[in-house]
Amino acid sequence: MKTDFKKIAKDGVISSNPTLKLVLGTCPTLALTTAAMNGIGMGLAVTFVLIFSNVIISLMRKAIPKEVRIPAFILIIATFVTIVRLALDYFLPDIYESLGLYLPLIVVNCIILARAESFASKNGVLASAADGLFMGVGFTTALTLMGTVREILGSGAIFGHKLWDFSIGFFSSSAGAFFTYAVFIALFALITDKCSEKSKHKKANDKIKENA
Amino acid sequence: MSFFKTAWFKCIACLLSIAVISGALLAVLNDALAVSPEMRTMRAIKKIYGEEKEYSVVLDIDSKDDTKNTAIVYDGVGSVNKIYEIDNGDILFQTTGYEGYKNGTITLWIRTAKTGNDYSIEKVILEKYEKQTLMSKLTGDFYNGFKLIDATAAYNDGSLFTARDKTAENYNPVSGATYSANAACNAVNCVIRYLGENGGNA
Repeated sequence: MKTDFKKIAKDGVISSNPTLKLVLGTCPTLALTTAAMNGIGMGLAVTFVLIFSNVIISLMRKAIPKEVRIPAFILIIATFVTIVRLALDYFLPDIYESLGLYLPLIVVNCIILARAESFASKNGVLASAADGLFMGVGFTTALTLMGTVREILGSGAIFGHKLWDFSIGFFSSSAGAFFTYAVFIALFALITDKCSEKSKHKKANDKIKENA
Repeated sequence: MSFFKTAWFKCIACLLSIAVISGALLAVLNDALAVSPEMRTMRAIKKIYGEEKEYSVVLDIDSKDDTKNTAIVYDGVGSVNKIYEIDNGDILFQTTGYEGYKNGTITLWIRTAKTGNDYSIEKVILEKYEKQTLMSKLTGDFYNGFKLIDATAAYNDGSLFTARDKTAENYNPVSGATYSANAACNAVNCVIRYLGENGGNA
């Protein structure tokens, strides 16, 4: 069966965006988006784990008995999370410190386990790697955008550079995180619904033209 | 032979294989990517000075030298864990302040500069903390509140930092995180006490 990479990409970034459409991985989304850099750091860490755990799980999908698939997935995911932790502590200590407790918690991130269970364990290696990559891109984009908005409004800065002295403390708080997340989900739903309506109209018009 | 075809044997064998391979891989990487205490110290120096600097150890609780690895403890206030003499004459301290929220602690790096026989606090940055839940309230402005104080004079006048006494000369509070601010003040006070007691011999 031929792999539809375009569909995998569209699913990961737009139609099944893990953060804004499936509302998965909300814990790091709410806690770490006080700054754009945190969003990028967390997003890239999750993307790395997603790609490699998907690849290994896909390779081993016929060897893992179904009775122990969840513990086996967790073992594989935990291995890659530990590798990310070690690498970040060694090469990017600032990001390692800012991600803090949420880095080891990637092990129980529902996006990774959900993709392992619903995609990687049923598909080939290339398709699983692409799924991990695009799900990661969707997650990273959402976190970075949320982090940028909250950093600008909550701290008057972007990527750590001060823009102005004006700031609204609410956006740095937990309540501000929920509010920003809600606004992002609403805006994303509005935009994707409009786009799908447009494409439906276009398809219908094309059909009418064809029939005429 | 049927034993090896049972479902439970396959399950155990599968999980054990993954665990052994993962363990071996992580053991190798853990060794290759280990961060030594010296590297951590250099990172702190880079964070404070913006560049790497040569230093000599006066005190370091992680040191293998028994004459240099005993922390200086000030009961109920905090402890001095590390003292480094930087090549430009500054003295860099790592201190832990007690009596934070839930009796937790805050550990700071404190850079001091010497002018004549007096020391001034130039920069304070956070290293780590325990049990504190409102650390985001301790902003850069709070840490800057410790800067440029003449540590020797503060010790001689008895005007240590406080987050509670509004009438005190060196009052450095944080609204809503008084306990954490208290631990940070205690960490800085350890340096003031150390410099005051050791004077020009620091």
